[in-house]
Amino acid sequence: MRTRYGSSPLHLLAHLAALALAAWALLQALQLAGWERIVLWLVGAIVLHDLVLWPAYTTLDRLARRGRPAGWSNYVRVPVGLSALLLLAFFPVICGKGEATYMRVSGQSWEGYAGRWLIVSAVLFAAAGALYLVRSRPGSSS
Amino acid sequence: MRAPPGPFQPRFWKSPLRGPWLTAVLGSILLVLVGIVALTGFLSHLAYQPDLGRNALVDRDVPFTTFFDWPTGPSWLYALNQGLHVNVGLIALPVLLAKLWSVIPRLFQFPPVRTPAEGIERVSISLLVASTGFLFATGLVNMQYWYVFQFDFVSAHYYAAVVFVAALAVHLVVKIPVALRAYRSRGVLAPLRQSLAETVPEPDGDTLAVEPDPPTVSRRGLLAAVGAGSLVLVTANAGQSIGGPLRSIAFLAPRREGGFPVNKTAAGAKVTDALVGADYRLVLRGGPSELMLTLDDLRELPQATHTLTLGCVEGWSTRQVWTGVPLSELARLAGVDDASELSVGSLQPAGVLRQATLARNQVADSRSLLALSVAGEELSRDHGYPARIIVPGLPGVHNTKWVGSLDFRA
Repeated sequence: MRTRYGSSPLHLLAHLAALALAAWALLQALQLAGWERIVLWLVGAIVLHDLVLWPAYTTLDRLARRGRPAGWSNYVRVPVGLSALLLLAFFPVICGKGEATYMRVSGQSWEGYAGRWLIVSAVLFAAAGALYLVRSRPGSSS
Repeated sequence: MRAPPGPFQPRFWKSPLRGPWLTAVLGSILLVLVGIVALTGFLSHLAYQPDLGRNALVDRDVPFTTFFDWPTGPSWLYALNQGLHVNVGLIALPVLLAKLWSVIPRLFQFPPVRTPAEGIERVSISLLVASTGFLFATGLVNMQYWYVFQFDFVSAHYYAAVVFVAALAVHLVVKIPVALRAYRSRGVLAPLRQSLAETVPEPDGDTLAVEPDPPTVSRRGLLAAVGAGSLVLVTANAGQSIGGPLRSIAFLAPRREGGFPVNKTAAGAKVTDALVGADYRLVLRGGPSELMLTLDDLRELPQATHTLTLGCVEGWSTRQVWTGVPLSELARLAGVDDASELSVGSLQPAGVLRQATLARNQVADSRSLLALSVAGEELSRDHGYPARIIVPGLPGVHNTKWVGSLDFRA
């Protein structure tokens, strides 16, 4: 069994059990209105991460490091990464996507998100710059 | 057959940090975090008490619904549950991205499938990545009021969570031995003691680079950067979950306005002057005869005041001082002393959440009120004037506003 299948019978049975449960949940989801959009979002999650997000940050990182001394790049990629992470998670508030709905349900205005994201990003870049300055002074330990 | 160029070529991969130990550490941290997120998610489903009345938002015949009565104490129970669900989800996001980064060479393995076992494993991994991405993406956009997905969020998020749990369980069966092997051969924490100069590739594993670049960061440095990512995300949001002065620190939280946030305005719910004006009557049913009470009648009944937290499924909360008539008092007045259920109806003309059914323990709790005022002032129209429900530990939207009828069941 092991030679032809490639693993133990436990491996096969565990997968069959999990896939059966997952198939039940997917079939339930396919009965909902807008099921084609549910499928789109499930497939889109893989495509966006594996074929857009990961290639984009890997390529940017390789370009940024090319020809530069080691130890230089972390001062840039950490604050850039943190700023990008905030944008990724809070894209809807930063870009005002939910504004109309939010104002209708809460009666409140929706202001300053993009500005606060930019200010926090500026603080992150400035802090990394200050750290670089301190550590690269002659006589500094690193 | 030769492998295509690019990431399908082993020489494409350059990171000296990738390896089974790093994946095991990221996977272990992620498991704890998503464990909390999944548990609080399913608990939230139970807190809506889908077995009662028309409470069920997901098909009420689904299994694994109710195992116990949702408790009424502490009053911040639901706020804590949802605060954890949303904020631990944010903390998990950078760990998830790092974990995927650590194993992504496997995606481009060539040939993609060598045995039937690898094939079936790839199917379950696809389901795991798809459902995880789906849950994070829909959760994030939903809490930010961007309903771009145009499907029923609650049901889709629930079924995706079932897919996630199934796919994660089998992933753990397959990968826990791999992680334990990495911990045993390299030590659980030993690689964290290595500085950048001491950082070398792991000795074996299927994600190792064949020609690694020199390291630009140590393993502990990478984990610290991931931790910094979690910290900025949770700082941007957690204040809305805790409330009070911390709310204003939450610089990207959707609910960062001060005071007492309104979940849904009267105008948004189409509650008009005519509905809540002088002709307002509260209908009490369940006893021998129907009772109609005016707002003045309600004001003359015995009142109680309690400080209770209102927690929203979206992960924000507010703590207020509520005054009103205890629900147990109204049950007695209706003629149902020990009500097993209470169906609350709103005057709000439409919407799934214009009614909610409460359980015996929730009606019986002395702190469960039909509130007429909050913070010492009559309820505002947007907060449910003339009367709204407040039950400790209940999901926010089940604290029905603009209450028009109370149906007690013996």
